[in-house]
Amino acid sequence: MTALTVSGLTKSFGSARVLDGVDLEVPGGLTAVLGASGCGKTTLLRILAGFIEPDAGTVSLGGRVVAGEGRTVPARHRRIGYVPQEGALFPHLDVAANVSFGLTGRRRASGGRRAARERVAEMLDLVELPQALAGRQPHELSGGQQQRVALARALAPRPDVVLLDEPFSSLDAGLREETGRAVARALRASAATAVLVTHDQGEALSLADQVAVMAAGRFVQVAPPAEVYLEPASPAVAAFVGGAALIPGDAVAGSVDCALGRVTVRGAEQGAVLMAVRPEQVAVTAAGEPGSRAAAVREVSFFGHDATVRVRLGGDATAAGAVEVTARVGADDVPEPGSSVGVRLLGEVLAFPRAES
Amino acid sequence: MSAPAGPGLDPGDVAAFGPAGAAPRRGGLPRPPVVLLALGVLVVATSLLPLGFVLWSTAQMGPAEAWDLLTRPRFADLLWNTTRLLVGGVALSAVLGVGFAWLVARTDLRLSGLWHGVLCAPLAVPAFVNGYAWVSTTHAVQSSYWGAVLIVSLSYYPLVYLPTVAALGRLDASVEDVAASLGAGPGTSFVRVVLPAISPAVLGGALLVGLHLLGEYGALQLLNYPTLTTGILDQYRVSFNGPAATLLALVLVVFCLALLGLEALARGNRRRARVGAGVGRPAARHRLGRAAPVWTLVVAGFAVLTLGIPLSSLLRWLLHGSSSSLSSGGLGSAVGTTLGLAVVGGLLTTLAALPVAWLAVRYRSTLATLLERGVYPANALPGIVVALALVTVSINVVPALYQTLPLLVLGYAILFLPRAAVGVRSTLELAPPVLDDVATTLGCTRAGAARRVTLPLVLPGLGASVALVSLAVATELTATLLLAPTGTSTLATQFWSRASAVEYGAAAPYALALIVLSVPATWLLGRVAVVHQQSNEQGNEQGNEQGRPA
Amino acid sequence: MKRISAALSLVIAAALGTAACSGDDGPKVVVYNAQHVQLLEEIAPKFEEATGIKVELRNGSDSEMAAQLIQEGDASPADVFLTENSPAMAAVERAGLLAPLDAAATDPIPAQYRPESGLWTGFVSRSTVLVYNPDLVAEDELPASLMELAEPEWAGKVSFSPTGADFQAIVAAVLDLEGEDAARAWLEGLKANGTVYDGNNVVLEAVNSGEIATGIEYHYYWYRDQAESGENSDDSTLHFFGNQDPGAFISVSGAAVLDSAENADGAQEFVAYLTSEEGQQALADSYALEYPLNPAVSLAPPVKPFADLEPPAVAISDLDGDKVVELLSDAGFVL
Repeated sequence: MTALTVSGLTKSFGSARVLDGVDLEVPGGLTAVLGASGCGKTTLLRILAGFIEPDAGTVSLGGRVVAGEGRTVPARHRRIGYVPQEGALFPHLDVAANVSFGLTGRRRASGGRRAARERVAEMLDLVELPQALAGRQPHELSGGQQQRVALARALAPRPDVVLLDEPFSSLDAGLREETGRAVARALRASAATAVLVTHDQGEALSLADQVAVMAAGRFVQVAPPAEVYLEPASPAVAAFVGGAALIPGDAVAGSVDCALGRVTVRGAEQGAVLMAVRPEQVAVTAAGEPGSRAAAVREVSFFGHDATVRVRLGGDATAAGAVEVTARVGADDVPEPGSSVGVRLLGEVLAFPRAES
Repeated sequence: MSAPAGPGLDPGDVAAFGPAGAAPRRGGLPRPPVVLLALGVLVVATSLLPLGFVLWSTAQMGPAEAWDLLTRPRFADLLWNTTRLLVGGVALSAVLGVGFAWLVARTDLRLSGLWHGVLCAPLAVPAFVNGYAWVSTTHAVQSSYWGAVLIVSLSYYPLVYLPTVAALGRLDASVEDVAASLGAGPGTSFVRVVLPAISPAVLGGALLVGLHLLGEYGALQLLNYPTLTTGILDQYRVSFNGPAATLLALVLVVFCLALLGLEALARGNRRRARVGAGVGRPAARHRLGRAAPVWTLVVAGFAVLTLGIPLSSLLRWLLHGSSSSLSSGGLGSAVGTTLGLAVVGGLLTTLAALPVAWLAVRYRSTLATLLERGVYPANALPGIVVALALVTVSINVVPALYQTLPLLVLGYAILFLPRAAVGVRSTLELAPPVLDDVATTLGCTRAGAARRVTLPLVLPGLGASVALVSLAVATELTATLLLAPTGTSTLATQFWSRASAVEYGAAAPYALALIVLSVPATWLLGRVAVVHQQSNEQGNEQGNEQGRPA
Repeated sequence: MKRISAALSLVIAAALGTAACSGDDGPKVVVYNAQHVQLLEEIAPKFEEATGIKVELRNGSDSEMAAQLIQEGDASPADVFLTENSPAMAAVERAGLLAPLDAAATDPIPAQYRPESGLWTGFVSRSTVLVYNPDLVAEDELPASLMELAEPEWAGKVSFSPTGADFQAIVAAVLDLEGEDAARAWLEGLKANGTVYDGNNVVLEAVNSGEIATGIEYHYYWYRDQAESGENSDDSTLHFFGNQDPGAFISVSGAAVLDSAENADGAQEFVAYLTSEEGQQALADSYALEYPLNPAVSLAPPVKPFADLEPPAVAISDLDGDKVVELLSDAGFVL
């Protein structure tokens, strides 16, 4: 495993500062860089790959500085693998030629053609593709197969680090999950350090060993998936990862009186706070059930295994400015949109100090 | 995944996750190399030279002289003739092109593949050869407005037909189904749904017909139908490149630019393709039913007009022509010269299109866009204007180039640059920069990436561009007449000197050679339209815009 | 620049595979030719054979090449200028671009067919005629004078090619013989009566096929077609006006050497060949059927003998091409 270290990385395009002093430590394994589009994560990846140079800061791979401090190691000498969006297979080459592309020249596996052929077979196994695909042209493959070939191509020359740029964003939902798991397995089996850029929190949380949440050109939290989800570093992280509703309130000794009733909070326990209420913390009951608050159902999204219900507190579905929360409910217990229900909070709610406006 | 697609987030909650600063370009684009920029500027400046010449020489003229020329009786004749030919020719070409495209692409007309080939084939007969064939068959088409409209439409309707067939092929049938479900009959559905959807293709084709009509010399001269372009040639015959010729050229260019503007205005910001990303369903074909034999007869009858008459006339002259005292040496050397010029012209034009297209594809910036658009007005420059400009500029500024092959080839390059630029650009898009990125991470140098990835991807497209321009060069008449150096005779000029002297028999072998040379390009264009259709039927949607047919 | 251009030419010529046939092997003369291409393509090889001097032809029309020579000035690559009619030559003469011809070139030609300046000479000539279709107009209805064609009874019955140099030379003769007012009135009458075609062959074909009753042009179009096949002339015949009528005007094709000629000697030799008995015989024997001007040579029958033409007396250097273009423009025939 090769460690990847980024420190103080800054990059501007024109007047727009896209990266603003970014630090990141990737000890090995799979790290997901999670952020909304335009937050700078692709720029970071392109600097890591060596396609563009940073304005300031350094990038080190395995202790070797490859960018910054007045030196730039070109992309072809960085021992990285790169999997761009939609795979970008070379359209004029078949699968085998794509995978063996990086095996020629300097990094030619000793043993030449025969070794290259063996390596291609090995790589197809690694990404769980049948050997029969070796002779296919890229346009004859499905999107998921193309992504796996792209990964096989990146891994074939045994890179130290693999960089993946939203590799699953163009795939159908079902294919995305399956391909994501296969890619993660292949990466772990290859023992390469991997950086995966994505805007999909589900993808980041499920595949990565470490999630780095990025916003406005900075990392706002770098931690294992569970920690990012359970202990978000800021209200924004809580809202972005896990879809928490942010509700303002005033805490007195660990509890807040608000539209949801008296709520026990942790984190910030005194003064003005912002509560991050997750869907799974909201229970939907029959209207008027003791201990519940009246609410009107605004919207229902049914997923099969469960559903999310968006409710407006106060019972009047048309009242402006009322607090809205989202609840996760079982598939057999979905209320009708527009109906009146009761809602109740389960357990403690995470709260953050709030600057008084 | 542990967190299935969650409920919608309130955007206000996550303001911090928005873009940093004013929408930065994704990953940023590198600056274009200075050499590339300089080349691009040089190419575009050269292509705009004729436009500058026309403006400059008109400005030299002085308003009194210009007014005097513009108020002469002949000028009004030429203007009126040009305008009504433009209106009639474009309208008839559009009706023929759209009608037959619909018949071939959207009905169960039998042998539609064969008819598609037959309907494309007239492109292989240069308009001036078609004019020659008709005039030498019947005088009825001579000196007559309707004769001119008919002949030019029979020559140029494929420019509407081809993009329309391609657009109909790409059209998602479900829009017609939706129209039907909303109570529209086939007629209403065609007018309200199909026609608007294919209108960009039809408009683009009509624009091309218009530009060709404005630049047409040979056919109209043979038909004895004077227009601005034949007027310029007449004027050139009288005064070499006097002020009247350049003023007429300015008027002609204004016509062409107005046509470009009109087309842009009519097209507006209509979406070209389907909205949404779903896979299109191939259209169900309309049943012709009992009318089928009638329609087959209509198409066959039309083929007699477009192909039967030219070919039979040509054959007659080849077999019985009395003035066909042809020295085969003359034909041989004309073929050699024509092919040589065609290859050199095709290569140079494609080469010139490369920096502009490369800048546009790889280094998107205001300047690159400006340069790319800068090529566009050259679309509107007829051969006669380019030739006039080059004659005058060379004689006054670079006498070393005057009456030389390089100047002739430069003329071809200016004339056909817009055509090459469209093709080269869509070709370069086949090799997006991400492929270079991937190749470098796999150990390639930039040069290695170019050799192993970019070049293999773009070579076929560049080859097609060279071929298309070459064939256009081979059948070019007007600019060649003015620019060819002493002693250089091409098929087109040899044909012309005979056909315009009513030596129909002697002209026939050259006409035949010109047609033979045009066949491959026509085949290529016809195939592109069909491939579009097929690829759509496989649901394999191509994102690139339909290119202008050459 | 010159070197770059030359290098480029070489590259392209090599690519053309036709090799540099304009190469610098041996002497050559560059001829700006506004006479019929086919005629010069017959005559030039005979000259090349006789002298070993190569002839390079650049073909065009009278006023186009005259204007081109004037624009090119001293830089012109031309050595020799040949016109189809005399007004274009007179224009180049006025621009001072011509060198005096050697006596060998001028002596064989009678004085009335060359200017006093000695800067150019006629080498062949052509007679104005009215070609007519006997089905559409009877012989006894034919006009006695060319001027009558402008009168209303000829409406829809006359055709001509006003953008060509031939018709312009005929107008120049009318102008010279009848004066400006008469010439203007005549053109206006023709504009009202006539059908305009592009090219004299087209006029002949239109008359022959019965499109139109008559056409104004030169004699040889009809004779050439007769000699070849008669396809475009068998149904028509010629009317010679004679009687010193403007319609019997004989137009002279001129030959001259450019003052800026690179190969002045070769150019003089070429013009001398054209007027020599040998050259004139070659012209007479060619397909052209134009009248040679060297009295030692004459055309064979059936062409009407030169001596029977009864042309009007027109001084060839008096013909004013610029004024003709002005008249044609005012009448709306050209811009």
